[in-house]
Amino acid sequence: MQGGSTGVGYGLKYQARCIVDVKADTDHTSFIAGTLSLKEENEVHLIRLSSAGTELICEGLFSHPNEIWDLSSCPYNPRIFSTVFSSGESYGAAVWQIPELYGQSNSPQLEQLASLDAHTCKIKCILWWPSGRTDKLISIDERNIFLWRLDSAKKTAKVQSQETVGMLHSFSGGAWDPHDQNAVAATCDSSIQFWDIRMMKKTNSIEHAHARNVDYNTKKQNIIVSAEDESGIRIWDLRMPKIPIRELPGHAHWTWAVRVNPEYDELILSAGTDSAVNLWFASATSSEDSKSESLLESPTRKVDPLLNSYNDYEDSVYGLAWSSREPWIFASLSYDGRVVVESVKSYLPRR
Amino acid sequence: MKNNIVGMETNMEQLLDKIMSVQSRSDRVNTSLLEKREHIEKLHRTRNLLRKVQFIYDLPSRLGKCIKSEAYADAVKFFTGATPIFKAYGDSSFHDCKRASEEAMSIVTKKLQEKLFSDSEPTNERAEAVLLLKQLDFPVDSLKAKLLGNLEHFLVDLQLESREAVTTTLNSENQLIELAQELFTRHFETIQQHIKKKVSLSDLLAMLRTIWIDVTEMDKVLPEAALPDFSLKAAQNAVKQYVSSIFSHLLNSVSEALSVVHITPKGRMEEECSLQAVLEAGKKAVIQGSMDALLNFRQMLDDNLELLVKLRDLIIDWVQEGFQEFFRSLENHFLLLSGRNNLTSQDQGSMDGTQGDKMLMGLVLVLAQLSIFVEQNAIPRITEEIAASFSGGGVRGYEHGPPFVPGEICRMFRAAGEKFLQLYINMKTQKISVLLKKRFTTPNWIKHKEPREVHMFVDLFLQELEAIGTEVKQILPQGLIRKHRRSDSNGSTTSSRSNPLREDKMTRSNTQRARSQLLETHLAKLFKQKMEIFTKVEFTQESVLSTIVKLCLKSLQEFIRMQTFNRSGFQQIQLDIQFLRAPLKEIGEDEAAIDFLLDEVIVATAERSIDPVPLEPAILERLIQVKLAKSREQNPSS
Repeated sequence: MQGGSTGVGYGLKYQARCIVDVKADTDHTSFIAGTLSLKEENEVHLIRLSSAGTELICEGLFSHPNEIWDLSSCPYNPRIFSTVFSSGESYGAAVWQIPELYGQSNSPQLEQLASLDAHTCKIKCILWWPSGRTDKLISIDERNIFLWRLDSAKKTAKVQSQETVGMLHSFSGGAWDPHDQNAVAATCDSSIQFWDIRMMKKTNSIEHAHARNVDYNTKKQNIIVSAEDESGIRIWDLRMPKIPIRELPGHAHWTWAVRVNPEYDELILSAGTDSAVNLWFASATSSEDSKSESLLESPTRKVDPLLNSYNDYEDSVYGLAWSSREPWIFASLSYDGRVVVESVKSYLPRR
Repeated sequence: MKNNIVGMETNMEQLLDKIMSVQSRSDRVNTSLLEKREHIEKLHRTRNLLRKVQFIYDLPSRLGKCIKSEAYADAVKFFTGATPIFKAYGDSSFHDCKRASEEAMSIVTKKLQEKLFSDSEPTNERAEAVLLLKQLDFPVDSLKAKLLGNLEHFLVDLQLESREAVTTTLNSENQLIELAQELFTRHFETIQQHIKKKVSLSDLLAMLRTIWIDVTEMDKVLPEAALPDFSLKAAQNAVKQYVSSIFSHLLNSVSEALSVVHITPKGRMEEECSLQAVLEAGKKAVIQGSMDALLNFRQMLDDNLELLVKLRDLIIDWVQEGFQEFFRSLENHFLLLSGRNNLTSQDQGSMDGTQGDKMLMGLVLVLAQLSIFVEQNAIPRITEEIAASFSGGGVRGYEHGPPFVPGEICRMFRAAGEKFLQLYINMKTQKISVLLKKRFTTPNWIKHKEPREVHMFVDLFLQELEAIGTEVKQILPQGLIRKHRRSDSNGSTTSSRSNPLREDKMTRSNTQRARSQLLETHLAKLFKQKMEIFTKVEFTQESVLSTIVKLCLKSLQEFIRMQTFNRSGFQQIQLDIQFLRAPLKEIGEDEAAIDFLLDEVIVATAERSIDPVPLEPAILERLIQVKLAKSREQNPSS
């Protein structure tokens, strides 16, 4: 057996890639995870961390048609979430609602609020605006960015605007800027593009970055962190998109996902295909690091930014989420369906 | 007793009487002789005066004689003796004499001046000349100024070979001191210029020697100038500069050896030769250069020139500090070459074309091995040398510790070497990753046709690995332990280890298969070490190759997980992987891990397949044989 595990574990029955934090739930620390099984009946699990922090309890188990490639929770309603799914050949995207009184029913069914059906290419992800209440939604597929208006009452979603990226590129994912409702980042083959969704135009880009995943810093403006297969983790200031302000080694193989802590923004989590989750300490201010290190002449060189490496996983880790309610807690999901929730309380920077 | 005293009194009175009579008689004699004495004295004085007059009349001729015999000192003595008379009576009685004498003296002064200004006269005579001129009340200051002017002109044309020590005992010492110091400053400046142009140690020692001799000589005459201390300081600077110039030349030679890689090679053979040659050249530059430098420094220490003996402790410190600094700069230079500090270099490399990229990767590998060489070979040897000849003494106090810290440098180079090796592996894996990505994202796997043949991406994949192999074999050493190859023992290409999992997969039905596969892989993984795949890379051929193969297989698995396959797609993957099994195990050392990873790939494909029915083993074998035959046709030599 592996060494002593410090986290709280929970097993999904099938393979899975997606786990998100239910931000809108202010009473409990809960997460939603969705499975990715080609042949079996897929499921969405609503998991809650017990108040003692020692147990993960399944609050709700809902069946979901088709395997889930992307999952995103609505930031202002704890029972609403979106999924991108596929059935082998075709892709679909929909917004779902967990029924009220789901705890009391035997086999609660998800209600489909809206179906985002304008896509013709492989859909990559759906983005909600993380900083407030809005009826807008963004969805990204390989060739296009769509802006939708969601009407939960009428259960419809209408395309407001759409733009293609052209034949030379293909999108793979994205993130919505929490400081600017009109700005969205989209990862392309060899660059990260920044779009203004009011004009539906590309405004900025970081070139020569083969990013798989990006995450904005919610505390500081213009800071974004990217996870790249070979280069690891890079922190960028959008005002200087040529050179990253900080580089971190990442993982022994690919760095799949990166998440900046919503409260303590120097803590960065990364999940990799080397079956590990790494916790990093990296300040986003550009000037302090390199200059002060060169002035000091101490024999011990730079302080290692890696705070801890959690490697109690059997397979590649694809899903990663910080809890908003208790920002020292994070949930991770490895491909074999194992959810592990850990606490980083001992690594929190002193305030 | 009373009688004695009474008798004494009478005696005393008698004595007194006698004395009185003697005195009166001598007074009489004196007065009678007085006249005569005065007369004699008068005559005597007159005679002296006459003698003097005679002397004055004779003076011009005498001076002439002195000039002829060049006895200027005598001339001056005579003249100065006669000067008071000339002053008093020169205008009246002795006018002619005075004139003649003055003419003579002007000749003398001219001669003396010439003597002073001529460089060929020995120094003490010139000193004498000045003294004499001074006695003649000659305006010595103007002379002095003229002399100094001459000397300064002389300094400007100073040749190092000629010895030029002018000792004068002029009174204004400050100007002289300045002059002397400037003289030596010019000397040392010339030395520094020579050092910049790369001077050999023997030349430097010769130069220092000549200067030191001059300094000691001048010091004897002019101790107030404190010339030894002054020149010691200047020599300190010169020696320090020499020491640092040796190190910068060493750094240059190493970087020159490594920059050969940037010359674009023409053929493939040239490339291979050049990498190994570059490594050897680099090693040689480092070790040979360091040994030569140490030899130089040791010679400098052993030299018994007083100047260097005084600087011994400082030299020891400089040598140690110099090595510490040299290795730091060397590491920085390596980092620069590898492009680690330059973030945009990777992209520029890809723009320049694969040739430049390939060279950079080769150079990175060379740097990795060179760093390890420095850590394992060069530093211990240098440490030994330094401990033998350059330990002890030193100016730094104990609390600072010795300036050359081999442990720190070793650690630095080991870390750098590991970084370079990792960079090399990353760059190569990235290149292969592009190839694999293209393979797995282009076709529509859900509507794949039946597999006709092994896909050509395996050729490209194996070619890349071979190229890496040749590069790596040139630079890195072989590992110590050679693992026993399973293929060596029984000659079969399939794994002889019975694999119940694989057999089971073929018998169970589809729906059950997925679930049981999952369970089996979980169980299998429990009993296998997960760390097998991501072990630490060693500096050996086998380790680097097998790490690259493992990372590529892992990438393959990840690409496959992003796709969905139909039955034919699954079968195509199965075929390709089966073909790769043998050659990959040949290339990578860690057979068990590669087997495991290949199985993982198949399992991942099965999980992502709608209908994972594998090909019949016979068909599999046939297609593989066809491929092997075709590749044997294309490469008859292999």
